[in-house]
Amino acid sequence: MSDVWIPLGEIAHGRSGDKGDHLNIGLIAHRPEWLDLLIDAVTEARLHAWFGPMLKGDAVVYRMNGIGAINCMLHHALEGGGTTSLRLDAQGKSWGQSILRLRVPVNRDEAVALGLPLNAATFDEAGRLAVV
Amino acid sequence: MDSEDSAPTAERIVRIGGGGGFWGDRVEAPIELLREEPLDYLMIDYLAELTMSIMAKQMARDTDAGWATDLGDWLAIGGMQALHERGVRLVTNAGGANPSACAAAVLDIAESVGWTDCRVAVISGDDILPRIDDLIEGGEGMEHMETRQPLTDSGRSLLAANAYLGAGPIGAALGAGADIVITGRVADPSLLVGCMLHAAGWVERANDLSLDRSSPVDEWAPDSVMSPLNDLAQWTIAGHLIECGSQVCGGNSTDWETMPDLGGLALPVAEVGLHGSVTITRAMHGGGRVDRRTVAEQLVYEISDPTCYITPDVIVDISEVTLTEVAPNRVRMAGAAGTARPERLKVSASLEAGWFASSSLLVPGPDAMDRARATDATLRNRLADTDLDIRSELIGAGMTLPPGIDPSWHVSEPTEVMLRWAVVGDDRDEVIHFSREVAPLVLTGPGGVSGYGARGRPRRQLQHWPTLIERSLIESAVHCDILGIRDVTSTRAGVRLAGTARSALRGRTIRLLGRLHDGLEHRQWTKPFARRIATRVPEVLTIREDAR
Repeated sequence: MSDVWIPLGEIAHGRSGDKGDHLNIGLIAHRPEWLDLLIDAVTEARLHAWFGPMLKGDAVVYRMNGIGAINCMLHHALEGGGTTSLRLDAQGKSWGQSILRLRVPVNRDEAVALGLPLNAATFDEAGRLAVV
Repeated sequence: MDSEDSAPTAERIVRIGGGGGFWGDRVEAPIELLREEPLDYLMIDYLAELTMSIMAKQMARDTDAGWATDLGDWLAIGGMQALHERGVRLVTNAGGANPSACAAAVLDIAESVGWTDCRVAVISGDDILPRIDDLIEGGEGMEHMETRQPLTDSGRSLLAANAYLGAGPIGAALGAGADIVITGRVADPSLLVGCMLHAAGWVERANDLSLDRSSPVDEWAPDSVMSPLNDLAQWTIAGHLIECGSQVCGGNSTDWETMPDLGGLALPVAEVGLHGSVTITRAMHGGGRVDRRTVAEQLVYEISDPTCYITPDVIVDISEVTLTEVAPNRVRMAGAAGTARPERLKVSASLEAGWFASSSLLVPGPDAMDRARATDATLRNRLADTDLDIRSELIGAGMTLPPGIDPSWHVSEPTEVMLRWAVVGDDRDEVIHFSREVAPLVLTGPGGVSGYGARGRPRRQLQHWPTLIERSLIESAVHCDILGIRDVTSTRAGVRLAGTARSALRGRTIRLLGRLHDGLEHRQWTKPFARRIATRVPEVLTIREDAR
């Protein structure tokens, strides 16, 4: 296993918003050819692990081939939605940025071949789900 | 002002400006856009999910209120002249809960700048609150889209219920000669699609065929249109991309560090072809930029399944949409694919859901987190005998990370935190009790706790209730009236303050009396004068009760 763990922000940029009680996080690969890396890195299981008890429903990851992006639908993650949530960020606008800290695994050889920067922010498996 | 596209197959291009993203966006920005950019149409979206319920309350208090007054503000300071001089047609949902009052105010402004033949279309019929009992009796359950719970089971009272209308009535209004189209709730992208139905001759074609404006708009397409649903899909996504104003020009961007002049972001312009080509660009002057990354972030904003982006006009698959930088600040969008419109329309309703207040305190270090936790425990202890739902957040100590992440992994001891509470409860007095318990913590909590502001006044908490409804029930009640200055000014000219100023003054008075009244409830007013005011204006307080 030659996986390394890097911050998601090295692979993608993003924006989040609300759909009722559901949170959507769109993540766009910095380069379209990194879409497969992105899809392998942001699995539904990893979204559940990251959001923990905050995510009360399913996580569904949709693929957007045209722009090299994924859309993550996090169902029932907003404590009733932008209008009833007691959170300061009731609409979940911060999550599309803060998730860019999430460390995700990539295959080292594949990453090098695709020109993904592996630098000081690269960690081994022990650092997973930590943040930079 | 059509410009020739440089593409090999010359397609007439329509330029549509996006004048803002919500009620509260930069008020004067649309004027800058109008003065700088040649435009055919200007669209402005003012309505977020809950805006309608706020506006419905305003209208209950004042029959001239209940619409996005920002529109009147910029039209009155030069916007109206700019529209008139440049021949730009304005399409906006600023009408909110009260489109006819909005139109009357707009016509007042038109008259004041000498635009005597200005025609304003009012599109109504989205408001189904007056019909809700009939609709439910007729078999519409109004089940919550996510939970499937029937509306009648909610046990809450309804404040507003509005269906999202589509582009058909907007196109028809423009076709009938409207200079300005004022709507209530309309699907945001349909504002742009309505412009295109007019510009591309689809409305004319529908008139020739005597098609009803509630018929599927793809059936309005002239015979020369190869794929009406795909053209509608492209126009719809163009609308989606500029409906949030500057957010497609570098606002709210991951790339904020490299974004030029964030303080003066430009507004977007969509260059839309009669046959579905779309290029997103921006006003020449101003900050930010339009590139593949800023447009991609807006494309994914507030979407769900990318193969199924639904408006009343068309269902769009954006999963294969491509973005290409064709020149600096110019991004071409292609590949949106359309299928037939949905059978049911979305309705956005709001229910009363108790009372809400929030408050915060600054808690310094050393040991800021321990001090904040102790302060929080003190407050919760004092509110132990209430039924309030209390949420505490330590701002500056990991609040934007999910709760499952161990804070010791990423947060070194913060030098200070902001401790913020939000509470909700059915009993308004309990919420007032919360607000009154925060200030004493400055003198009774851990050392250095400070930053107490005004006592948070309770406000109505609202629950959003999205549902679906058979579209024929809505569309049969949609009206489009085209008004001129003579239709609205004969009864009002010169008689009183403009509606916006009047309602602002009245709102301030009501708020002031409300504060006096609260003081009376809690025996705060010891001075006879204040007690007399607070007790001797029952009629005003009655107005205030209605406004709650």
